[in-house]
Amino acid sequence: MRIYIGAENIISPLGKSADDNFHALKTNTSAGKYFEGLGFNDETVFLMKFDQKDKTSFSQLVDDCLSGISGKLSGKLLSSEKTLLIFSTTKGNFESNFTNGIASFCSDLKEKYELKNDPLAVSNACISGVLAINVAADYIKPGLYENVVVIGCDVVSEFVLYGFQSLFALSDDVCRPFDEDRKGINLGEACAAVVLSKNVEIFKEQPLIYVSGSSSNDANHISGPSRTGEGLYRSVVKTLKLSGLSAKDIDFISGHGTATVFNDEMESIAFDRLKMNHIPINSLKAYFGHTLGAAGLVETAISMQSLRNNLLIKSLGFENQGTSKQLNVIEENSEKEIAAFLKTASGFGGCNASLIIKRA
Amino acid sequence: MNFITTYCHISEDHCAVNGEVLLTNESENSWIRTLYDHFKIDYSKFHKMDLMSKIGVIGSEILKSQNGKIVDYDDDEIALVFANKNSSANTDVKFQQSFKENGSPSPALFVYTLPNIVLGEIAIKNKWYGENIFVVSENFDPEFYENYCNILIPSKAMACACGWVNVLNDSIEAFFFFVEKEASTEDSLPLTSNNLLNLRKA
Repeated sequence: MRIYIGAENIISPLGKSADDNFHALKTNTSAGKYFEGLGFNDETVFLMKFDQKDKTSFSQLVDDCLSGISGKLSGKLLSSEKTLLIFSTTKGNFESNFTNGIASFCSDLKEKYELKNDPLAVSNACISGVLAINVAADYIKPGLYENVVVIGCDVVSEFVLYGFQSLFALSDDVCRPFDEDRKGINLGEACAAVVLSKNVEIFKEQPLIYVSGSSSNDANHISGPSRTGEGLYRSVVKTLKLSGLSAKDIDFISGHGTATVFNDEMESIAFDRLKMNHIPINSLKAYFGHTLGAAGLVETAISMQSLRNNLLIKSLGFENQGTSKQLNVIEENSEKEIAAFLKTASGFGGCNASLIIKRA
Repeated sequence: MNFITTYCHISEDHCAVNGEVLLTNESENSWIRTLYDHFKIDYSKFHKMDLMSKIGVIGSEILKSQNGKIVDYDDDEIALVFANKNSSANTDVKFQQSFKENGSPSPALFVYTLPNIVLGEIAIKNKWYGENIFVVSENFDPEFYENYCNILIPSKAMACACGWVNVLNDSIEAFFFFVEKEASTEDSLPLTSNNLLNLRKA
């Protein structure tokens, strides 16, 4: 069975549609800015956060994103009994409902959009978005649903910001994934969505094909990546095996690339072990920041735009090789025939996930 | 057809294994310590974990103690399929206190403010490299486990260690069960939503 994926949408400080966001990346624009006194102890922090004037609520972000995708679909897909909504987030709307920010938000979504099925909320740290797309395809394959709308959202809260400050994990200016001078992450906020379906005709624009995906745990540490890249390595091996493709069929990799010393080093080791380190790779974290539960969706949506436009996007912030194993980091936006890409993600809890999307 | 081959419950006042109450919380030791000692866990990393991770690790140890076949699976054949209602709220509250009331955000608490950390702790303890998923839902959703285990087995996993583990204000509601292709124990039951609902109440 073919599983189509399309109708991608992104709401971020860089734009209010996938096109807007992709356009910003074509000019290598970062959403990052200094926010004076916003951090713990009134520290100034560098974030990819909506300006005060553009600030919207968590639920408004989700509404705007859903309304954007409905314009790309035919019929009333969202409220169909054949449609499931999967929600990807780390903290949900917890600034409104601290101890129940995810499940209660899903109940609200169900009521507001008259969904026939209870939304499924995936909360698996920074792999949530990639994992949620994999789950969507897994639900369509045996015929449980015909269509799945996958939407991911997280915002920059005091809670998460102070937490990353306490770990000394934040960079004080724009982050530099895979670079020798990288010194940490930027937090970002965004909402992004994709739609998967067995029916090609629901998409107004030609969709792509979801090929395969998987997840794997490092079984090593809850807050540090494996030194051997074990989980990422295993997940990519499995995803490739399920895909029937081989590494030579992958035209580029959208990596996780948080710009912490250990994460990016881990990715280089995993791709070296996979013999995939010659494949062009980017990280989009210097554009959007780390948007946590939205990241997998933002980065998959942009990679889908790359494939549609045959345009590799530069890994912003990278200048000099900074990992022990060589990677082929994309240094300039460049035209290339793209038939398929690999998206990977890794996160706290030692989790890793990957997926492959190809041209229809 | 897949089978539920063993299961257990942990609450703040009792622990039941395959439906039989094995321990009640009446000793002078802390309840978690009682469980830790009873199931002979002996794992130094256990003591730094948050409450939800401790419960998850105890649950996975109980499942292993009841079904000897679990340890025979390859290191990437067991998927972890977990869910709850309140995500990591129990530790979220404590982390928020660390910066609102106690002076500074605690990194040791912050790393537990994601619900899937319990999966990481179980994976580390057992060296399980398999699939992971954590789902948040208002109520225990038996159909999720039934559907997702049937999806994973056998294409992405050979067995699933499943859990509903909700911890809030230090009150505990946990139900763990093991799903595999063969009815490997005497008490095995077919994996159906109805059976899951009944076992959870047991």
